[in-house]
Amino acid sequence: MTAFAPTLAVQSEGVRRSFQGREVLDGLNIDIAPGEFVALLGRSGSGKSTYLRALAGLDREIEGTLRVAELRAVVFQDARLVPWKRVLANVLLGLSGSDTRERALHVLEEVGLSKLANAWPATLSGGESQRVALARALVRRPDLLLMDEPFGALDALTRLKMHELLRELCSKYQPAVLLVTHDVDEAIILADRILVLTDGTISLDLSVDVPTPRRRSDTRVSALRTRLLTELGVKDQVG
Amino acid sequence: MRLSEKNSVLRIAHLNAGRTLELTRPALKGPVIDLTVPVKTTIRGISIPREVRRLYGPLAVVMIWTALSLAGMLGPRVFPSPWEVVTAAIDLIEKGVLQQHLVTSLGRVFAGLIPGLLLGLALAVIAGTLTRFEDSIDSIMQILKAIPNFTIVPLLIIWMGINEAPKVTLIVLSVCVPIYINTYSAIRNVDSRLIESAYTLGLGRWQRVWHIILPGSLPGFLVGLRISLTNAWLALVFAETINAKQGLGALMSDARTWWQLDIMVLVITIYAVLGLSSYAFVRLLERHFLVWRRGYLGD
Repeated sequence: MTAFAPTLAVQSEGVRRSFQGREVLDGLNIDIAPGEFVALLGRSGSGKSTYLRALAGLDREIEGTLRVAELRAVVFQDARLVPWKRVLANVLLGLSGSDTRERALHVLEEVGLSKLANAWPATLSGGESQRVALARALVRRPDLLLMDEPFGALDALTRLKMHELLRELCSKYQPAVLLVTHDVDEAIILADRILVLTDGTISLDLSVDVPTPRRRSDTRVSALRTRLLTELGVKDQVG
Repeated sequence: MRLSEKNSVLRIAHLNAGRTLELTRPALKGPVIDLTVPVKTTIRGISIPREVRRLYGPLAVVMIWTALSLAGMLGPRVFPSPWEVVTAAIDLIEKGVLQQHLVTSLGRVFAGLIPGLLLGLALAVIAGTLTRFEDSIDSIMQILKAIPNFTIVPLLIIWMGINEAPKVTLIVLSVCVPIYINTYSAIRNVDSRLIESAYTLGLGRWQRVWHIILPGSLPGFLVGLRISLTNAWLALVFAETINAKQGLGALMSDARTWWQLDIMVLVITIYAVLGLSSYAFVRLLERHFLVWRRGYLGD
């Protein structure tokens, strides 16, 4: 730890983005501290992916102030592995240096895929692909990890395992995380802080003060879920 | 229940009580098909490699040709027999003529093929990645595609004379256009999500070209290569029949002048073999470079 005051991993003020006159982001103010795990919830079309793309530097038509850590990595919903590169080469993509290969192998081991280092992406299952994508992001030791519904296409069992893995790896690598999701439970289980995006602005900003590991049966968790679902305009029928 | 009459009744013995339990299940509305994979029967357990099987068609043609010749249905004035063609070939090889023509022709094809490939590829990458050059390059290439190569031969001769230059230029043009067209359209079809993710992984423009765009457009490039090789041979025939003392086309036009049917058929056969080998070569490249694809391979 350095003695300097930590700068923010994300600092956004009055971020706006419109598509054909429709304001998708309407003056967004979000700060994310280094190492903080933030989940961004919202209904589809609420602008959460737009914001993530802006943070990734993929959208250069936003207005407002936006500062982000330079060392950042993105995990998309589709793993976006390069099909003509084997798993290890995918993890190594764009990296240079003498120890990178070892580091990549190490991260592959951490996500439990060291045996598949030589496999073609087309032969992987959805969960395996997403673990490779996670390894490819973490090997860069990012200050900011951006994830756009990374588990959205996975089956329920795989998703639970991925939650566990992600929590483990995040506590090890300690990046600031912005997890865009529509899954309320996922947000509660993983995040330190949950933001709800409604019509282009933050309508709710909650700290999750429940110690990990969080169980669904915990009353604080179910209270939180009901509150978030209400904010999202859905009745909580199960909890 | 309208279906009840058709419904089958399953009787299940209830072990403990010794009673039978009657369960009503709906009957299937259609028949049952058998998807059990039958055990494969190969003749004496040998499976013939694909590349050999690809020769079946041409071999059948040669066999029919031989049969027709043996039956006396093809007169020597109309169509020489296979052995006449072989005799002509041996004769020309013994004189050392055939090799010379072949080497000259191969030399010309490669002299045009390599720069044509590089030019087509370079133009495709520039047009595909740098939008400010895209429209001008693309329209020029589409014009070149529309103009039959052979119509510009007289111009090439006027500009360059009757030596090697117009011949090689003709081959360059006929190679570079299909390479460009196919590679450019393949670049346009490279998954933009991959390019985005490469950007987020910190790859610069030329790294994206090298790691994503070029390999991603390789399938298209190889299609272009197939067409290019065919075109190169066609352009060669044309270039050599106009004005050449050496080369397969020269051999062909001499044979035409002297009514040497056996040599004409021999040259046609050589073109056929060259065409088939170029095709096999591209297939080899495809198999080697496109292993990562799990495309549909046919039934």
